[in-house]
Order: sequence, then C-alpha cells, then structure tokens
Amino acid sequence: MMDQVFSLIQKLRAKSVYFLVLIGIFVLIFPQLTDNQYILHISIRILIYMLLASSLNMIVGYTGQYNIGQAGFYAIGAYTAAIIATRAGYSFLLILPLCGIMAASMSAFLGFPTLRLRGIFFAFTTLGFSEVVRLTILNWRTLTRGTFGIPGIPLPEIVNFQISTNNHFYYLGLFLLVVMLFISHRLINSRIGRAWVAIREDENAAKAMGVETFKYKMINLMYGTFWAGIAGGFFAYFAGYISADSFILDESFAILAMVLVGGKGTLVGPIVGAIILTILPELVREIARYRLVIFGIAILVMVHYRPQGIAGAKAEGRRIDVEKEYEAGISENAVETTAPGN
Amino acid sequence: MYYIEQLFNGITQGSIYALMAIGYSLIFGTLGLVTFVYGEVVVFGVFVGYYLYAVVGLNFGVALALGLVVTWGVGIIVDKVCYEKFRNAPRLIMLITTIGFAIFLKSSTQIVFGTQQRNMPDILGHVFLNIGNFRIPFIQILIILACISFIIGLQLLLYRTRIGTALRALSMDKDAAFLVGVDVDRVIKFGHSLGCVLGVFGGVLLGVFYNAINPIMGPNIGLKAFTATVLGGITSIPGAVIGGLILGVMENLTVAVFSAGYRDIIAFILLITVLVIRPSGLFGRKLES
Amino acid sequence: MESILRTENLCKYFGGLKAVQDVSINVSKGIIQGIIGPNGAGKTTLFNVLTGTYNSTKGKVYFKDRNITNFKPEKVTKLGISRTFQNIKLFKNMSVLDNVKIGFHTQTKTKMLDAIFHTKTYKNDDRICEERGQELIERVGLSDLKEEFASNLAYGNQRKLEIARALAVNPDILLVDEPTAGMNHIETRNVVELLEKLNSEGLTVIIIEHDMSVIMNLCHSILVLNHGQKISEGSPEQVRRDENVIEAYLGREE
Repeated sequence: MMDQVFSLIQKLRAKSVYFLVLIGIFVLIFPQLTDNQYILHISIRILIYMLLASSLNMIVGYTGQYNIGQAGFYAIGAYTAAIIATRAGYSFLLILPLCGIMAASMSAFLGFPTLRLRGIFFAFTTLGFSEVVRLTILNWRTLTRGTFGIPGIPLPEIVNFQISTNNHFYYLGLFLLVVMLFISHRLINSRIGRAWVAIREDENAAKAMGVETFKYKMINLMYGTFWAGIAGGFFAYFAGYISADSFILDESFAILAMVLVGGKGTLVGPIVGAIILTILPELVREIARYRLVIFGIAILVMVHYRPQGIAGAKAEGRRIDVEKEYEAGISENAVETTAPGN
Repeated sequence: MYYIEQLFNGITQGSIYALMAIGYSLIFGTLGLVTFVYGEVVVFGVFVGYYLYAVVGLNFGVALALGLVVTWGVGIIVDKVCYEKFRNAPRLIMLITTIGFAIFLKSSTQIVFGTQQRNMPDILGHVFLNIGNFRIPFIQILIILACISFIIGLQLLLYRTRIGTALRALSMDKDAAFLVGVDVDRVIKFGHSLGCVLGVFGGVLLGVFYNAINPIMGPNIGLKAFTATVLGGITSIPGAVIGGLILGVMENLTVAVFSAGYRDIIAFILLITVLVIRPSGLFGRKLES
Repeated sequence: MESILRTENLCKYFGGLKAVQDVSINVSKGIIQGIIGPNGAGKTTLFNVLTGTYNSTKGKVYFKDRNITNFKPEKVTKLGISRTFQNIKLFKNMSVLDNVKIGFHTQTKTKMLDAIFHTKTYKNDDRICEERGQELIERVGLSDLKEEFASNLAYGNQRKLEIARALAVNPDILLVDEPTAGMNHIETRNVVELLEKLNSEGLTVIIIEHDMSVIMNLCHSILVLNHGQKISEGSPEQVRRDENVIEAYLGREE
C-alpha cells in the first residue's frame, strides 16, 4: 500500500507543472477563504517551518553535512530582530537581512574549524552550538533580558504599509518562502549546486575534479543558516515577543525531522515535511504530547525503509568499507581513506 | 582556598566525566560506532535506577543493579535498531539513526519520568574529610575511588579476558577479526552495552555529586563525553580519562572565576579549540591530512 | 623529450607500512606511460600521492618543472592533472551529463550572484557545460544515456563516464587507474582506441593496468613496481625481457 502511495507521489511529481499551478493558486487565495484566526495563525507557523526546514535541507540535503542545531541560528535571527527593533527605530527592511547575515556569520565561525574534519565533528559542534546560543541568551541579561524574553517587538512597516493582521503576515511569510525557494532553485541548477551535490556524493572525487570542497561547504552552510536567521527575524516580528523557550534543542530536532521525513535533497521534500509534522500534532490533539517521540520513530522508520524521505532525492551516498586513519595502501583494493571530508 | 576546593571539585567531576568518556570512547573510538544517543541512554538508565529506588522502594544497590541491567538491554536495542543493519554502510547513516533514536529516547524519558529535576538520595553528603585546612566531602573521595576502580576494571577486561581481546581485535580490523572467528555482532553488542553501562555509572555518580538529576540532560552529557573523548584522542581510552579530567577541572575553574550559568559552555569552547588546534587530540594518532 | 611529470625519491609510508619507497620517475610529455605491478605494489598509492590525495612522506613531485608536492588535490587538478579511480568514484545520484559537468568546474566561473541573477557569466558557463559536456559524452559513446543516473549504468559505461568526466577537466596529463577492469574485448578496444586518439591529440597519459596486451600495445614506456619499489623501467620490449619483472610478476597475455 505504501508503495502505491509513493508511486502516486512520483507520478504527481512528473505532472508537476499543473500541480504547481493549482497549489500556487490555492496558497495565494487561502487567507481569503477563511476568517478563522487560529487557522491563519497555524498556517503562518507552517510557513515558518517550511522556511526553516528548507534552509536546513540546503545543508543536509545538498552537501550532506548534518546540522542538528539549526534552532541556534533561528534564535540568532530572532534575537537580532528583537534587540535591534526594540532598541533602535530601524526599519524592518533593514533589520531582516541583518538577521540572516548575523546567523550566517556565526555559522562561518562554526564551520571554519569543523568543516575540514569528518562529519561527526560538525554534527556535534552544531548540537553544542544550539545549546550555547540558548545559554548565552539566558545569561547575557543586559543584552537579552535573560529568562524574561523580549516583549514589545513592533509591527513591521514596509514603505509606509503597516503589517498588522495575520493575513499580512501570511503573505509576507509566503513571499519570503517563495524568494528563498526561487534563489535556491537557481543555485542548485548551477555550477555551485553541482559542486554541492558532488561533495555530498563523493567528496574525494569532487576534490579530484577541482572542487574546492571546504570553500563550497562553507558557502553552503552560510547560505542555509542565512535563511534560518531570516525565519527567526520574521518569527520575532510575527510573535511580538520572544524568549529562549522557543529555541530549545527540541526545535532543532523537529526541523531535522521535517527534512529527514519529508525528504532531503529536493525543494519539495522539506515543504512536505513541514506540513505533515506541523499539522499532525494539531489535528490529533492527543498525540501532540508525543510529537517528538513520533518524530524520532519516523526518522528511524525512514532510514530503514525509505532513506530519501517521502519526497526526497535518492541519495544513499557512497559505499565505504571500514575506515581507519592508516589503513589505505595495504591492499590496492582498499578504498581511499583520507580522514578529512567523510 | 576557594580555588583549591574548586580544583578538587573539578577533579571529582573530572573523574565522572572520565568514566563517561571511557564508555563513549569504547563505543566511538574502539568500535567505531558513531553515536548521538549515548547521553540519552545514560539518562534513561539513571532514571530507571532512581525510579526503582525512590518510587518502588528497592534497596539502593538493587535499584542500581537493575538500572544497569535495563541499560544493557537498551544498549542492545540501540544496536539492533541503529547499527545492525548498517554495519557496512556509510558512517553517515549511523549519525542519522542515532539522532533519530536520541530524539525518540529523550522525549520518551521526559514523558515517562516527567520533566522535573529529581533529587538524588543524600548519601554521605554530610561526611567530610579534614586534611589540613581543607574540608573535602567524603563522597567526592568515594567518587574518585569508584572511577579509578572502573578504569582499572576496564583495563583488566580488555587485556585479560577473551572478550576484551576480541574487542581490541575488532577495533583494529573488523574484517580480520571476523576471519579469525570473532563473532562480530555479539562483540559489538557487548562493547556497546558495556560503554552505555559505564556511562550510567558516571551518570549516577554525577547525580550524587550534584544531588540532582534531570531528564533533559542527555544532550549535555553526550556533548561532554564527546568533547572529553576528542580532547584525549578518539582512539585512546587513557586519553579519554585525561580528557575528562581536564574538562572537569576547566569547568569548575571557569565557574569559580565567572558565573555558574556559563558552565556548560566550557565544553563547547574546549571542543572548538581542540578541533582548531589539534583534531587528533592529545593522544590520538595524527589524522592523515 | 620534455618532462611533464617527475618524482624524486617519492615515499609514502603508513606507519610501518612502506607503500611507496624511493620511486623516481620521469614522464615525458606526449607519451603514454604504463605502470604495472602485482596487487599491493603501490600503484594506486602512487597515483594518490601524485594527485595530492595523499601527502608524501618523503620526496618530491614536479609537474612541468614546478614543485607540486603536497599540493591539495583541487589545486593539482586546476594545474592540469586529472584522474580516474580504480574503484569508480562517480557521483551516483547525478545524471551522466551532470557528472561530466562537474569536470568543467575549474574552467567555469559562475559565482552565487551569477547563478541567482542568470548573468552573462552564468549563461556562458551553462552553454559551455552543455555543449562540451555533450561532446565528451558522445566521444565516449554514452549519448543515449546522458540523463540516466550514474548508478544505473552498466559497469563498462561507468568507466567510460569516469574518463569523460576526467577529460572535462581539460588536463595536460590524464592518470587512468585500471580503466579496462571488468570490460569485455570490445569495450577494452574502445577504451584503448580512445586513449590512443587522445594521446595523438597531445594528451599525456599514465595508465595503471593489469591487462598485459593493453599495456604492451599502448604504452611507450613502462614502469614496474613491486612492494612499493621500482623494479624495472623502459620500453615494453625491455620490460618484457627483464628478469626482475618476470620473477615478480608473471604477466599473462590475454
């Protein structure tokens, strides 16, 4: 039965143009179809998660680096917006890009020592980073008001137009998502995107073909975290009040689950993941408590039976035998085992 | 004075970290299993033991023993779900499966045991040893002794028993070990569960040291075990001990100089520093560049 | 003849294992240089050190008289050395065409802004990749398969794709590692003809091979390795009659 569902999805992807148009129309007129503020609110949350999952997917799905601390960059974006907006009267249009830039810059610090090494170092470092951001937020009270959070984030104003209702935020969020997807699409279908995928598929072969893998991993990381920062900035304006509670590790896990379950390596995968993993706990209230338990199980099930996720690119990586630092050279048939760049 | 006491605190805490790091190093360094779920398994095991003692009312020793048995079982389950099918797959897969399991286990622990901090039973907390001008809590001495015993015990296991030898053979060359008749699957399960159990010992001692345990401290423990292991050199078990000690001392000195809130950041800073300066750690083999 | 690639007492040790010991070779521009030797002789390791995948323990590598010892592989490729791999390292989940396009990486310049705004640079690079990519694919005979995922190709075709990808780099010298392994006679002949044609157009080739008929017919000069050391060197006739070679490695005429 699952096979039939999946082949249906494949067929739908093939007829994607018609489908996209239909979905596009629906998405555009959606807020006009309902007055229910709760539903609108959820939709905006879903948009934010789509943005977050897509941003993480750029990293996990294209260069294959496992960032399990995306919430840390999300937090940086949110707090950048909150701090600057509440203390200085700069406009939204100026602050929002800054959110992305701050997040990307921090990721550069993180990536510099760790992207040269094997994937697990990077993964652990991102985990630690996510927590460090949260702890810093809690402790640096003069900057962040610690546990009290930052209230009173003003509503954004774009060229004399005040964004105030849920409808407004919906369209703003949608716009950001579409821009992100468009830019990502262009990057993926270019020399840069190919370099990223080559790194994911076989980093040593990529190097042999002249790809400066470290540089491209850095670019990729900064690009992915940039959008997490943007999502954070948007969230800050939308919520009006932020605190460290929104950026706990569980958030990082949820975003990762959306990418792994929805599908990595395609633009549509994280969208699917964000929808499913946000709506499900809402629809079935009883299971909302068990949200993360289910996410964890979903990830495990996916890896065992459908590693690319629901709508992801088939990406199993390369076959590697036992990897030790010194082993190569013993037999001509041993796989190259240069340690950096797994 | 205060700093000396903090130093001793650091050594005590460091020995606990050392114990956890050994368990971690056994799994990651010796067996080559990438794991993200170590901290969560430790926390789960500690809570099971705690529950059996504080709620079910079992004797402390019995509760601890049962907790360890459960941990051993969880270790086997983790291997079955996360590793068994992927013994020859890219290491990246282990990253994903253990992250998935960690997410599952962390939230399950919170659901089963609640999200609040619990107080560990006060064992000998009021007994002090007076050496000169210093008052050292007796429990800290016990903790250090316990850690030393475990470390020695592990060395004996690795070098004096058959399964220990099999473990070492496996760590050097999985295929060769298989060819000489080592039951790879069984030894991996054994080594993995042993590592988890060592971690739980560390977790219990940590709870005793702080007088508190917290169901969300899994990632924290995992990160510190990882940092200590990397600092000491991934492939070196003695290195993990040194790494743990350094981490413990540095944490406590930092807390003494700055504020307690930044305690957990030290591990992270230490990790980044090691990765920048010398990724192979203090005693690990130099990575091929 | 002008030297294009040479090594001076090149050594690569892995702890106690001396994979490559004191190997000095001098490859002249425009020839096809063969490297043979029993399994474990250090041939692939030598390739890895030449291309920067491994650092050398001792000794030097010169390309066009420039010291490139321990240069990073990306840099070595950019200088004009390209290679294929013994265990075929294709980008499995990319199409045949995309695999080849990666080879053009060092010759294209598209940056992020170019890609986002489809600037002239992007369009130019895109055109180059498409056109030259198609050419190379046709050259190795994979035209009908250009959209196919690399992992779906038959083994022989995978090897051809690897060669096409390596050629996309537009190298001065191509290192091929057992290109005809697992191929039938027809496929082998195709590869040999391709290499001959490329060589006649000026490409220097270094080839590791086990198939003696390929080596003897194709190569101008042969280097024989055993246990990481050079045990013989010279023309096919010389090497064939060298006792050391016969002793160490009884080649079988296919």
